[in-house]
Amino acid sequence: MGLADARAMHPGLDVVEADADADRRLLEGLADWCDRYTPLVALDGEDALFLDVTGCAALFGGERAMLDGMLARFFQQGFEARAAIASTAGAAWAAARFRGRLVVAPGEEEALLSPLPLAALRIETQTRAALQSVGLRTAGAVMAMPRAPLARRFGAGLLLRLDQALGRLDEAISPRLPVALLSAERQLAEPVTLTDDVEALTQMLAATLKSGLERRGEGARTLALSLFRVDGAVSRIAIGTSRPLRDPALIRRLFHEKLAAIGESLDAGYGFDLVRLSVLAAAPFAARQADLAGAADEGEDGLALFADRVRARLGEGAVLRPVAVESHLPERAVALLPFAWAVKSEAPLRKPHPADRRDRIRVPRPVPVLPPERPIRLFRQPEPIEVPATEMPEGPPLRFRWRRALHRVAHAEGPERIAPEWWLDDAGAKAPTRDYYRVEDVEGRRYWLYRQGLHEAGEPSPRWFMHGIFP
Amino acid sequence: MASSAVAREAVLALRREIARIEGTLPERLETPAGMPARHDAWLPTGAARLDALLGGGLARAALTEIHGGETRDAVAVAGFALALAGLLLKRTGKAGAPVLWVGTAEIFREAGFPHAAGLAASFGIAADELILAEAPKLADALWVAEEAAALTALSAVVLEVRGNCGRLDLTATRRLHRRAQATGRPVLLLRQAAEAEPTAAPVRLLVSPAPAAPRHTLAGPLAGSIGRPAFTVAVGKCPAALPGRFILEWNPDEHQFRERNATESRTKDPVAMVSLSGGGKGAAAAPGQVVAFPPAASRPPRPQPPREQHPPHRRAGRKG
Repeated sequence: MGLADARAMHPGLDVVEADADADRRLLEGLADWCDRYTPLVALDGEDALFLDVTGCAALFGGERAMLDGMLARFFQQGFEARAAIASTAGAAWAAARFRGRLVVAPGEEEALLSPLPLAALRIETQTRAALQSVGLRTAGAVMAMPRAPLARRFGAGLLLRLDQALGRLDEAISPRLPVALLSAERQLAEPVTLTDDVEALTQMLAATLKSGLERRGEGARTLALSLFRVDGAVSRIAIGTSRPLRDPALIRRLFHEKLAAIGESLDAGYGFDLVRLSVLAAAPFAARQADLAGAADEGEDGLALFADRVRARLGEGAVLRPVAVESHLPERAVALLPFAWAVKSEAPLRKPHPADRRDRIRVPRPVPVLPPERPIRLFRQPEPIEVPATEMPEGPPLRFRWRRALHRVAHAEGPERIAPEWWLDDAGAKAPTRDYYRVEDVEGRRYWLYRQGLHEAGEPSPRWFMHGIFP
Repeated sequence: MASSAVAREAVLALRREIARIEGTLPERLETPAGMPARHDAWLPTGAARLDALLGGGLARAALTEIHGGETRDAVAVAGFALALAGLLLKRTGKAGAPVLWVGTAEIFREAGFPHAAGLAASFGIAADELILAEAPKLADALWVAEEAAALTALSAVVLEVRGNCGRLDLTATRRLHRRAQATGRPVLLLRQAAEAEPTAAPVRLLVSPAPAAPRHTLAGPLAGSIGRPAFTVAVGKCPAALPGRFILEWNPDEHQFRERNATESRTKDPVAMVSLSGGGKGAAAAPGQVVAFPPAASRPPRPQPPREQHPPHRRAGRKG
């Protein structure tokens, strides 16, 4: 019926526009919240969640208790939910939709599904209509028929769904988030709000994870801290390290920097009641023997930890390492890579070997020739300058105006012609040629500026730019 | 004499006592004038007069402040600091101890981002001996520098900031100085476009650009060329408490500074674009009768005074 008819029947109706994106986000938020039960959570349609709770039920006091607790929490948050636990996804789907709160024992799937209508089997509408036209109205009737004629007439999809529901075929759930290698969590009777308490908890959880990492002989490279709020919101904080890390105190320091950087954005609300620390990526840990004096040989480790702390606080691009790259364009001659990436500068023209490690970046070292004179500071974007007159049409400027100050040129060297890399098939290859000049002004400052393009008849006069400054 | 030996013993005993109270070693205390210092406590820059003024060179385990007048001079200041860092790397000779250059996003945008290829060509700092850190705010840059100053895995820390702000006061600089002393690595504080203000650094230098020397070929200096970079270094604060102003040339091939004498000024008249006519040697002979004036060729051109001594209304260029 139309909106006007509905309003005519009930004048006090409250109308809200449907917002599919908001509904999706709400469902994803609920899926995040369900992360406390199991890491394997998948969205199903627009209003359902699949949780793979294999092995998790014991942590919550059994399947019945877990189901009741989950539904009670949903009710307290203001949602009306129906849930069911079964040994197969198909049976759980059908039980949740058509039976409500139910725990299906293994082996009872057939008894559960028999009286249910065909919609409980998750088959397409056309197949359903075809089955109904033949006179099969319940799932039980379909299960009683011989299989070969069913497959011949209605397709293999019907039998697939049947087998999945009855447990003869496995059905996998693709989880939303990657599954962690190791995880330690702590349920809190009293929710915590202070950052210091969160850090102390992180250290305790890291101590628990350390034994697991030691058994595997690895150290953590990426760690994620999940904080579950009492009202359902979940915050995830991740840190990365440049070297495999196991020490709980160092892990706590890294999270301290990250939490300090997040600052106000982390809203504790009424507090966190579940804190979980997971190891998302690990790498082999080379244990070194300390000497008897116990003197901490900091060296490389101290530098790596310092870089990790700066990276946790200021972001990925805070600490950079320059790497020389084979290119004659000045802006491409040096690549700035984050400190954490293991860069190995290798001989040029080296063929990749199948035994090469994948986690290292290999950069061919440029062939050493007489290095051209380059400025020590380069502008990321060359700044335009105004040149009123030059000696010759193709010569260095006599004076130029840069940043609203007029500079008079005393000496000039050049030109050095740098043409774009035509062998690369990108937009930069069509850029005009540049003629670079080293100029010195009357006060002793030395600049590196270029003219973009050549003087040609009919074309607008070429523009000048300031690219770098010499010491 | 015996009395001086007794006095020296008393001074040494007092130093040990003070070091014990402070909880540090006697060698780590500030060296008062007259006491022999450790041989590697200073990094000689190569300019003898500057080294004498600084007490032997750049202090290895201390905070040194280097000021620049304008943002345009930022490259001269940074170049001087990186030249010192390059000298330090050559001196230690240990491979794999990099130099950290921390700057705010503001100064990297105004003065340019460091270019590793140029640093390698000019100062001999290889790409794997350099680490760059860019912080969005001054407080973050200061924090990074303080944490880095406590590391022994770095050769030197260079912190570059712009302008005068309240954060780099006596307390913050004293913290940097103490950490530099503890690790034995220098911390260079570059302040671009800033006025001198009281800090805890024992040495303060003011660097501005100077005209470069011409390139030298077998046939003599090449006119109109730009050769080795040069810096004007003025000493603002030093242990000897004496002023000084030097023009230092940097030799990129031998990696050392050289002081330039006042007589080696580059051009007599820096404003001229065209080279001087050389005293009129090539001028055509004036028509008419020669009277009793001496010929123009035999009279040498009058030397112009150096640029610094021009009265203010005749000074070339504009400041600011």
